[in-house]
Amino acid sequence: MPDASHVGRVYRAPGMVIEADRVRAFAGAIAGDDAVAEPDAVPPTFAAVYCLFPTLGRILGDPEVGIDLAGLIHGEQQFSFHAPLRPGDVVDSQARIAGVQGRRGMTFVDVELEATRGDRPVCTGRALLIVRGTGS
Amino acid sequence: MSAVGTLRAGDVMTPLSRLVTQAQIDAYAEASGDHNPIHVDEEFARSVGLPGTIAHGMLDLGILTDAVARWAGGSDRVASIGCRFSKPLLAGDTITCTGTVVEVDEEPGIAVLSLEAVSDRGDRVLTHGRAEIRLDRSRS
Repeated sequence: MPDASHVGRVYRAPGMVIEADRVRAFAGAIAGDDAVAEPDAVPPTFAAVYCLFPTLGRILGDPEVGIDLAGLIHGEQQFSFHAPLRPGDVVDSQARIAGVQGRRGMTFVDVELEATRGDRPVCTGRALLIVRGTGS
Repeated sequence: MSAVGTLRAGDVMTPLSRLVTQAQIDAYAEASGDHNPIHVDEEFARSVGLPGTIAHGMLDLGILTDAVARWAGGSDRVASIGCRFSKPLLAGDTITCTGTVVEVDEEPGIAVLSLEAVSDRGDRVLTHGRAEIRLDRSRS
């Protein structure tokens, strides 16, 4: 179970390639039966693919933090976009555990996200993970 | 939308309603790489107490972001977006995204939207939604 001692841990997902085929499939999945509005653009929430999910996978894979996927809820998500991405871009993503709080039988894990292209940020954000149970 | 330059507090975003099918959820799982079985395996979803498979929260937020981008005139106008995932959206539900301009800041040229999304069964799926829109694309 996550606790305050895990605050500050950083999880890196370097060299994430923005693949055109995947962007197209992702945009199509969001559009459903509608036509994709901007076929050549990388949808803003593609940040889930190049930043959130790969770094979250590393957090879930950290046995010392010990988050059980079965008890995990994605509570909140926020992204800020600093520069547009294009297919072919390569970004380095990371997540940092910024806070862990137990209340009402749940543990709230605040995660800071950042993706950079070269030395410039393209996306920053925050995820709130809610884990059933508390460590104490 | 076309009137981004003349936005005022109280202006309403063009709502967007979208049926979210299991096929669409499967496609999102494939494209995003999130294969959590609560999204794609009905039997598993029921075994953990859900009425059926549910859409990824990030798919719901993706649709909300699509609503904002279409209305604002392009995804490059979306400076930020976020929400709380309050209730699950079940496969076969229709999600409806709405928003209202709550603030326009001419300098640095940002409009702030308050957003939410509800399902056709009446669940408030996304709450506390907030987006910032760039009024001047050249500053992005």
